[in-house]
Amino acid sequence: MPSWAPLTDDQLAEQRRGLSDEQLQQRRIVNINSETVTDVSGTDIPGHYGPGQDDTWDLNRFAQNLKIDYHQNKPNDAAFSLIGVDASIANAFRRIMLAEIPTLAIEDVFIFDNTSIIQDEVLAHRLGLIPLTGGKAGLDQLGWFKKPPPKDDYAAQAVYDQDDLPASASTPNDHNTIVVTLHVDCRWATIDEDGRDGKQLAKDGETDPAVRYVNSNIYAHQLVFEPQGDQTKWFDGEDAIKPVNPDILIAKLRPGQRINLRCHCIKGLGMDHAKFSPVATASYRLLPLIDITAPIVGIEAKKFQRCFPRGVIALEKDAGSGETKAVVADPMKDTVSRECLRHDEFKGKVKLGRIRDHFIFSVESSGQFDSDELFLESVRLLKKKAEKFKRHLTELEEGR
Amino acid sequence: MIIPIRCFSCGKVIADLYERYVQLISTPHNDEGDLTPDGEAMDQLGLNRYCCRRMVLTHVDLIEKLLRYNPAEREIVKLGQRQ
Repeated sequence: MPSWAPLTDDQLAEQRRGLSDEQLQQRRIVNINSETVTDVSGTDIPGHYGPGQDDTWDLNRFAQNLKIDYHQNKPNDAAFSLIGVDASIANAFRRIMLAEIPTLAIEDVFIFDNTSIIQDEVLAHRLGLIPLTGGKAGLDQLGWFKKPPPKDDYAAQAVYDQDDLPASASTPNDHNTIVVTLHVDCRWATIDEDGRDGKQLAKDGETDPAVRYVNSNIYAHQLVFEPQGDQTKWFDGEDAIKPVNPDILIAKLRPGQRINLRCHCIKGLGMDHAKFSPVATASYRLLPLIDITAPIVGIEAKKFQRCFPRGVIALEKDAGSGETKAVVADPMKDTVSRECLRHDEFKGKVKLGRIRDHFIFSVESSGQFDSDELFLESVRLLKKKAEKFKRHLTELEEGR
Repeated sequence: MIIPIRCFSCGKVIADLYERYVQLISTPHNDEGDLTPDGEAMDQLGLNRYCCRRMVLTHVDLIEKLLRYNPAEREIVKLGQRQ
C-alpha cells in the first residue's frame, strides 16, 4: 500500500487512542462569547496533551483531513474552503498570492511630449498601475530586470551588489524588458477625416467631447506593444502584450494637446510595488459555528432568526410539538456579529464559535491569471521556498 | 482630478468602470424615465466591497473643469461671438 493511501477505520481509531469524535471536534473550535474569545491557538503541536497520547504530525492523518472545496470559481473571483491546515500555512498562501507571484507592469516611462493637463509624474504613475497580460509561456521565460539604485543611496547599492543576478540584467534587453508606446494627438473633428465638423457642431451647441474632438479620451487599448528582438516569437498574435482591461481611462485631452511616450515594462513582485500584485484581494475567514444547545421555539425562534444575516437560520416545524423551531441552515453566511448573545432569552441556548482549521478563502484576480491558478501557484511557490530552506539547513549542517 | 486607475485600498481596477457608471446613473433604464440608483449601478459593475464603491461614488471629475482652460476652446468661443 502506498504511503499516501487513506487510512482504514482501524488505523484511524489506533491514532486517536480513545478520543471520541466529539472531543476531536471540540479541539477545532474557537469559542466566541459575548465579551471574550477563547481557545484561539491551535493545539495540534506534538506533546500539547501530555505524554498519554500520540499526537505527532503524521502525513497520513494530514492527507486524511485535508480538503479543498470550491464554492465559486470564476476567472476573476474564486471562493473556496481550505480545511485541515494550520493558520500559518493558510496565511502563507495568502501572503504569497498578494506579494510573491510575478507579473508584468510598466516600470519606466520615457516622456517625449506631454502637453496634456495630467502632469508627467501622475501620468507615469497611472500607466504603472495598468495590469498587463500576454502569452503565459513568454512571460514565464522573461528574465528579471535588475534596476540600478540611485547613486547616493548606499544601502540600496549594497543590496544591489549582493544580488546574484548577472550585471547584464541591469541593461534593458529583449529578455527582460518589454516596450510599449503611446502616441496620441487630440484635434477637432473634421469633415475630411471624420465625416463631421467638430467646430461647427460646437457652435451649434454640441457639448459631447467625443463628438467634437478626436482622441479626447486616451484608453489603455491605445498602448502599442513593440516587440523587440525575439519577442516576436513569444508574443505573437493572441499572445501579444496587452492591458487586461482595454477601457481603462488613462488621460483626457483637448485639441492641440499631445502625449507621446515610451514605456519599459518589467517583471516584478507585489512585495516591491503593489502594481505587480496579481490579486485585488486575497483573504480568508474562519467558518462560523452556531450551536443551538437548547431548542428555540415560537416567537423566540423568529427573533433568533433576525439576529443573523438572511439565510443563516431557518425555521422548521418541530415534528413532536408542532411549534416552529430555529435550526442552522447555512453558517457560512454568518458574520459572527454576536447579536444573539445580547438577548437574555437566548442565554444558555446558543454557543457561537469558529472552526480553527476551516479557512474560507476569497481570491479576486486582477486579470493576469485565473483565480484558481493563483492559488496553485502559491502552493508551488511555498513548496519551492520550503525546499530552499531545507537545502540551506543541510548546507549549515555540513558546515558549508 | 481624473478617476484613479485602481481602488486605493484593495487594488481593483476601477478606471474602466467610471464611464459606464456615469452612463448607468444618468440614462433612464425604462420607459417611465427612472434612473438607476447609485447602489444598483455599482452592483451591476461588480463593485462589491465598500472600498471600491467609495472610489466611484465619491469621485469628483475635476478634470472636466480644468480641460476648459484650453486655447483651442477659447478660439471657438471667439468665432461664435464674431458672427
